[in-house]
Amino acid sequence: MASADKPINTDVPEKDVFTLHFLQSLSNLRRQNTFNSPEKTNDRVKKIKKAAYVSMARAAGGTNRLWSRALLRRAAKENSKVVRFPRRKKRVTCLRRRRSNRRDPVEEEEAERLRNLVPGGGGMETSKLMEETAHYIKCLSMQVKVMQCLVDGLAPK
Amino acid sequence: MDNELFMNTQLHPPPEIAAHFEQPSSSSTMLNWSLMDPNLTQHSPTQDYFSWRKSTELQQKQSIFDSALSCGGGDGFIIRELIGKLGNSSATPNRTTPLTEFSGDPGFAERAARFSCFGSRSFNGRTNSSLPVNNNGKIVNSVKLTRVSSTPALNGLVSPMVPAGEISRKRKHLTKVKSKETPLPTVSPAPSFSKTAEGKGGKRRRQDEEKEDNTKGPEPPKDYIHVRARRGQATDSHSLAERVRREKIGERMKLLEDLVPGCNKVTGKALMLDEIINYVQSLQRQVEFLSMKLSSVNDTRLDFNVDALVSKDVMIPSSSNRLHEAGLQAESLSHHSYNNNSQLHTNVSSSNMMLPSPVNSVETSTLASSFTHLPTLTQFTDSISQYQIFSQEDLQSIVGMGVAHNPNHESQNMKIEL
Repeated sequence: MASADKPINTDVPEKDVFTLHFLQSLSNLRRQNTFNSPEKTNDRVKKIKKAAYVSMARAAGGTNRLWSRALLRRAAKENSKVVRFPRRKKRVTCLRRRRSNRRDPVEEEEAERLRNLVPGGGGMETSKLMEETAHYIKCLSMQVKVMQCLVDGLAPK
Repeated sequence: MDNELFMNTQLHPPPEIAAHFEQPSSSSTMLNWSLMDPNLTQHSPTQDYFSWRKSTELQQKQSIFDSALSCGGGDGFIIRELIGKLGNSSATPNRTTPLTEFSGDPGFAERAARFSCFGSRSFNGRTNSSLPVNNNGKIVNSVKLTRVSSTPALNGLVSPMVPAGEISRKRKHLTKVKSKETPLPTVSPAPSFSKTAEGKGGKRRRQDEEKEDNTKGPEPPKDYIHVRARRGQATDSHSLAERVRREKIGERMKLLEDLVPGCNKVTGKALMLDEIINYVQSLQRQVEFLSMKLSSVNDTRLDFNVDALVSKDVMIPSSSNRLHEAGLQAESLSHHSYNNNSQLHTNVSSSNMMLPSPVNSVETSTLASSFTHLPTLTQFTDSISQYQIFSQEDLQSIVGMGVAHNPNHESQNMKIEL
């Protein structure tokens, strides 16, 4: 049961955390033999994109955030890896109870779109969804900044 | 008798409603009479009379609905009761025609729908507040109790109004501050019609008093959310929960507003959500676009990245103490980086290019020392696995060190060297 008015925490780590994670993932990608083949640019793009998201999820708080957890789980599933998250009983029970709570026909249409965008949005109540969206937006913008700097650094005009 | 109801409630019904009740006085008296004992078949009116009464009642209802809607639902529950009573009264004498008339009146159904979609919590709450405010089930039961002789068709008509109020109800276990639940069960609706009006009037009175009481009084400390019903608003637990939920969502919307640029002009949840969705989509598209760019650019440069990064990873844990002691000196960046340039190999220089423009300050004093102790590359690659998890400070210092060598004006030099 939600306690009243905990201050909403949408702190996001600094840019360097994101940078580090992203560069690490890129380096890991680099080491893959198939990565450098000049054909298959699409695959490369996809891999880089996935690496970007996964590194962002890790940088942003790992398994502490619902969206990052969902992202990591999704990525792990694609690689057919098994990901173990620390068990959170509170969340499970809340899920069951909350499903009846978030129905409100006026809001739900838009919230539906948001749910599709934010990873892991399907299982959240609307207010929780908003929190996760805020954090997700912050992390996304941070990741975009990092990548922009990388691109600028790598490809001078 | 309906006027009595109004008087009991200490509300001041707008003159329109009172006027409506006064004008067709004959019908109102008949209404009263029918309320008293709708089961009296000997008084069953003729078809003509009944249809006339129906029409006037419907007109009454129309005007009542409109005036109720206009006056902000303040008397919604009164009206709802009346409609219920009208429905009841019509149900008994002649089952088929009045019901069809009721159900067939598209205006009435529409207005009922309007009531249900009226949307304000207060109205929903108030429609329910005229009945005992305990639970979902209880309210429904009480509604059905007052319509003893209601037929399924009438139930079908009434039910859009009842679930309309129930839509807003939640199954949260909210405890209420006031102890209004205790007096209310004693006023549970009497099954007989004669008592319903009085009972409801009494209930209304009590609820008004309780509403006033609710504004005073301390909150008992408990684990649950404590919500105080504001004056003049619903005291139903479900509508309270609904209100809490809406407030929460509103709060978060404000948060999001600050994040999303350009949301200040937009008001209203729907438009705001649209903006947010657009922004998230644009960010995701940006990530995709940048990853495409990175993939095309990445080939040669990325190698150096890895090594340089790794070197810093190795260095940091050993020199973390020094880092923490040294403190952050942003201004001396340029000097030290120039000094260190000569010592740096291509690894570091390329890493300088990679890292983003400095935002954080750097421990420059330790830089020189750490970089003179560069071990070989193979050692670095092996040690990567050890340093998967970094603390925040370590990470900051890692990147900070790289940043030290990458003030904007120097990046050009670095690239030229390569």
